[in-house]
Amino acid sequence: MCGIAGFTLPRDATVDVKAEAEVHLRRMVTSLRHRGPDALDAVIQAGIALGHARLAILDPAGGAQPMRDDTTGVTVVFNGEIFNHDDLRRSLTANRSFRTRSDTEVILAAFLERGIECVSEFNGQFAFAIFDPRDLTLWLARDRFGKLPLFYSETSERFVFASEAKAILASGLVQPRLDRHAIAETLRLWAPATGRSFFDGIRSLPPGSVARLRDGDLSIHTYWELDLADERIDHGIPFNRAADELEALLYDAVRLRLRADVPVGAYLSGGLDSSLLCAIAQEQLGGGLQTYSVAFSHPRYDERGFQESVARTLGTDHRTTTIENAEVGTLLPAVVEHAESAILRTAPAPLLKLSHAVRVAGTKVVLTGEGADEMFLGYDLFKETKIRQFWARQPESRARGALFGRLYPYLAVSKQSPQLMRQFFGVGLDQPSAADFSHRIRWTNSGRISRFLSRSFVDALDGWDPVTAFLSELPSAITSARPLARAQLLEARTLLSQYLLSTQGDRMLMANSVEGRFPFLDHRIAEFAARLPDWMKLRGLREKLIVRRLAKGRVPPQVATRTKFPYRAPIAEALLGPCAPAWAKVELSRDAIDDVGVFDGTRVEKLIERLASTPAASDADEMALVAVASTQLLARRFLCEREISPLELEKVQVRAA
Amino acid sequence: MTHASEVRSFVSETFFVDDFADDDSFLQTGIIDSTGMMELVAFLERRFGIKIADEELVPENLDSLANVCRFVSRKNAQAA
Repeated sequence: MCGIAGFTLPRDATVDVKAEAEVHLRRMVTSLRHRGPDALDAVIQAGIALGHARLAILDPAGGAQPMRDDTTGVTVVFNGEIFNHDDLRRSLTANRSFRTRSDTEVILAAFLERGIECVSEFNGQFAFAIFDPRDLTLWLARDRFGKLPLFYSETSERFVFASEAKAILASGLVQPRLDRHAIAETLRLWAPATGRSFFDGIRSLPPGSVARLRDGDLSIHTYWELDLADERIDHGIPFNRAADELEALLYDAVRLRLRADVPVGAYLSGGLDSSLLCAIAQEQLGGGLQTYSVAFSHPRYDERGFQESVARTLGTDHRTTTIENAEVGTLLPAVVEHAESAILRTAPAPLLKLSHAVRVAGTKVVLTGEGADEMFLGYDLFKETKIRQFWARQPESRARGALFGRLYPYLAVSKQSPQLMRQFFGVGLDQPSAADFSHRIRWTNSGRISRFLSRSFVDALDGWDPVTAFLSELPSAITSARPLARAQLLEARTLLSQYLLSTQGDRMLMANSVEGRFPFLDHRIAEFAARLPDWMKLRGLREKLIVRRLAKGRVPPQVATRTKFPYRAPIAEALLGPCAPAWAKVELSRDAIDDVGVFDGTRVEKLIERLASTPAASDADEMALVAVASTQLLARRFLCEREISPLELEKVQVRAA
Repeated sequence: MTHASEVRSFVSETFFVDDFADDDSFLQTGIIDSTGMMELVAFLERRFGIKIADEELVPENLDSLANVCRFVSRKNAQAA
């Protein structure tokens, strides 16, 4: 994987303008070097400046970028992988001879032959920019699920884009200011869900879309969307045949993702999905798969026993990294540096440590199980939706509401009072067709975090409500979809690309120059899952039925039958008390919080006292603490200009074309 | 202080809510979450010297300021 960057230039730019552009471009590429330490290259030509930080995985010798077609001058910078590039190359060789084995050249060739519609043929994870000098058009494209990031900003003089917002800020072309709407969205929806970054004027290109910039006009169109319409469901498909089809698809998705000129390893969480992927990968490689796990010294979060039993059964070359509570706190500044986000959970921190271990072991690519829970209904949220839907038909039923005690046996209230629990989960029960029916409880709960915002921040929002804003941007068809499909769409739009694949995925991997690959998010599998009746995914309160079928006999029985274990990391224990990192003592002080101005220092002080004195912290209080800590770190890191040493800047090779 | 103003200030200070009506459902409006409910119960027992039985942990007794006040008065009357 790699990092890309660039901006528009006047076609007839003077020497001075070009010289200035070179400085901007060097700064941008340098700030992305963690994404691609193997080569830093850039080109300045009429109309455009393009830069690339390369992590060489395929055709290390031939795949240099920016890559230009000599006949037309069309130039591409590309971050990612086109897994079906061999097939595509064969279909394109009739009109073209290829110079390299790289997928970059396949993108260039496909674009020249078919135009930007070629993205629909790509099976992969990608973000790329193509500049076409023939019509002075800049194209940007992003893969279907937004596995790889791509940000852009329209200033009065330039259109700027990059793999990470920090590169746009480093260019000096955009003033760094926190986007208060993005913060407000995060405090409710867990991540910005409407294309915002955390910085004013910098936006994220939506997953599955293409942007065209011509004559200063930007237009964005969607080329792929997850379609969960009822009409697509094949109710007649027998379970055994569905399982066979899924098996064939998953084998192919893994096969494509094991292709590389460097070794491919795998993350092993100890859950169903990653264990199944490891089993398939180990089988296809004929042994020798490297697996990597993170274990927690705190038993509440630890899955080591499951991880080790899978590794033993499969015979993988297994490595475990253990993380202490205190390290989670120590790592949080680096998490925010790479994620460029305010967050509500510390769960990315252990993954930052894990990708470091992968890098130290000399591995550049790992498979991960991301996406299976979204496509095959693995999360508790889907069960919660199902119970609430069942209960909404008979709201007076005591037995229906009491099902929550089975779903969340660990909630204090469910142990002590089924009546209170029903009251808690009964929010919005009278509106089962509301677009946000599935997420009402989650968003009511996270709404509690906003109580810690400063008066001035709330006043500046002027009554703007993130949930209303988000719901108004959803396709109108969503309200007619069945509740589980609605829940899946909301989950995909709020969390998958904006948080799980980025903050907890790409960013934590690329921080240590490691590429993640996600077989369950092969779009053929997503489209196949959308055709299956819900019961094959969630039967009663048993999740991922069809994935379990595949896992049977391939992974240890205790893993194949295991209930989904939510991946979490310590919060209060990591940020407060005797383990508190030095930065937290400074940044979580009342004065420091009031200085940044997003949260209210006095209220946060009380929150901290409360969290430090209670053994059973509430979920919303812990999320609030992470929100405050990460916002403080975000402001400190990004609101002032960063010095980059001239020596670093000189490492970028700039060509004029 | 009356029960109402004591309970109100406990809820305000503990759960950081500025303003709520006497009849607002704590759980359905998100004023208190499921963990917080147990804190409220512990506060009532401590402050008003009452014992709350499991079968009394119901919305009619606990899920709004008005409900809590009625419940506490009744418990006190029973004890007296």
